[in-house]
Amino acid sequence: MKKDNLPAAQFEVEVPDTLKTEEMTLNMGPQHPSTHGVLRVVLKTDGEIIKSAEPVIGYLHRCFEKHAENVTWHQVIPFTDRLDYIASMNNNLGYVIGLERMMNLQVNERAEYLRVIVSELNRIASHLIALGTYGLDIGAFTPFLYVFRDRERILDLFEEICGARLLYNYIWVGGVAYDAPQGWRDKVLQFIDYFVPKIKEYNDILTYNKIFIDRTAKVGVIPADVAINYGLSGPSLRGSGVEFDLRKDDPYSIYDRFDFNVCTGKGQMGTVGDTWDRYWVRVAEMYESAKIVRQAAEQLPEGDAKETVPRNIKVPAGEYYMRTETPRGELGYYIISDGGKTPNRVKVRSPAYCNLSVLPAIAPGVMVADMVAIIGSLDIVLGEVDR
Amino acid sequence: MGEYFKNIYKAIVTILIGMGVTWRHLFTRAVTIQYPHVKRELPPRSRQKLFVDIDDCIGCFQCARACPVDCIDIETVKAGKEEDLGETSTGQKKRLHVVKFDIDLTKCCYCADCVFPCPTECIVMTPKYEFSTYDRFDLIEHFSAYSAEEAEKLKERDRKEKEALAAARAAKMQAAPKPPSSDKPGPSA
Ligand code: SF4
Ligand code: SF4
Repeated sequence: MKKDNLPAAQFEVEVPDTLKTEEMTLNMGPQHPSTHGVLRVVLKTDGEIIKSAEPVIGYLHRCFEKHAENVTWHQVIPFTDRLDYIASMNNNLGYVIGLERMMNLQVNERAEYLRVIVSELNRIASHLIALGTYGLDIGAFTPFLYVFRDRERILDLFEEICGARLLYNYIWVGGVAYDAPQGWRDKVLQFIDYFVPKIKEYNDILTYNKIFIDRTAKVGVIPADVAINYGLSGPSLRGSGVEFDLRKDDPYSIYDRFDFNVCTGKGQMGTVGDTWDRYWVRVAEMYESAKIVRQAAEQLPEGDAKETVPRNIKVPAGEYYMRTETPRGELGYYIISDGGKTPNRVKVRSPAYCNLSVLPAIAPGVMVADMVAIIGSLDIVLGEVDR
Repeated sequence: MGEYFKNIYKAIVTILIGMGVTWRHLFTRAVTIQYPHVKRELPPRSRQKLFVDIDDCIGCFQCARACPVDCIDIETVKAGKEEDLGETSTGQKKRLHVVKFDIDLTKCCYCADCVFPCPTECIVMTPKYEFSTYDRFDLIEHFSAYSAEEAEKLKERDRKEKEALAAARAAKMQAAPKPPSSDKPGPSA
């Protein structure tokens, strides 16, 4: 990668030669309210200006891949829940679709629609958390409470359909665990009717707030080529103006049947690829997800949604790389089977991990306080970074 | 200079817009509830504490095998020939004493994988969520209908029966001519 691709240092300070200065090493985290979990960032600072930043991870490592080798194909699903614990449905989906493609399995229409509805609702829930905690990082407390109020409604819907609020174990090979209960579809439509006007409320209270804009616009700019070179995906990549969304570019499940747009950062408030753009992409995506949910719920066919295969499945020997678009980006499962009852290997390409890797490239030259804004805008979940 | 005042003006206006939102919220109903006094009604599917209707359990180990974290611990003892343990409510004959059926709720991840394979539908998840204790060993739920002494007695009987069986088999082996392969040294020995 060429060095001159990197953004210019955003603050230039002139230090007189006579002044005695010293570089300081500062540990941000692992217990820090704005690192969104147990992330440690080793900062080398010159006063308030960061010279270099190095993320240190591994505090939340739970051996997902090792566990996956020791349980049956089906029993891996509850473990995938725990990767990105605020978007579990999307994690289930990628793994399950990967297995289904290996087994050449057809899934009932109703199950496909239910899968799309729950994944998109989960995407909204996840983006709501991203919004709320980002406001919290910057210093706005109220939006956090508002988004949690609305996220709670989504969790209630999930609790009704599968019994769990956070770790669902809902999407199973060949179908879904439970069919939707009576009246659930109407509740989803009601929620969408309630929710879409609420997004304006978040915009009023946070997005277009002058102070918020001043804190986020033109900060932590990731140019498109840097974003691509570092393998960014999801809203962090789209914030840099790259139109890449696996739901459109490599459709899985039944995403090709719905009408929605891919949102990208346009640099409305400053530069393309700044933290405000990444934030804005998430807001815009909530509209799109709501659109998909509405279409899917309206078209939801009658029929059987339960899984069509026995639970002790055997996957034909072979390997497959399945990638899906989670709220954080491209989640890839590289599944290797030797034809037995347990996976030979399940490797996870975690979007949050790859997104975090760009931090050392964009950190030099920013203020320590802006570092918080940058980490927040990447929307990492440490459960997925460390796995 | 003009920019400076414009910024201040914009900041004030956008803050007022935000304040308008919070102001409107003053007049809406609160969404929070006073938890210990007011409780939410959980939907019937809610996956909380596990419950086992031990009278219906046939000791088939399906649930223990399905559990991804191995937190179900079952021990069974074969019923004697003349013993009749009755039937489950689904009409299956019970042939095993389930002398131990422990679920370690500290390990359980509430995934409900154990619920589906049960042939008699006796292991279920209930919407009961308040079961914190002062001692973590209280979180190991014992579902077996047998007391420790009874279980010990049954296991003792089982052991004796097995020993008798093994002795009988050994006696038979002695009487019969030895199969030729058994006293050959293995290739790696
Ligand atoms: S709910 Fe899941 S973890 Fe708990 S006992 Fe059942 S299978 Fe095991
Ligand atoms: S699957 Fe049901 S019947 Fe079989 S051991 Fe478990 S609880 Fe008992």
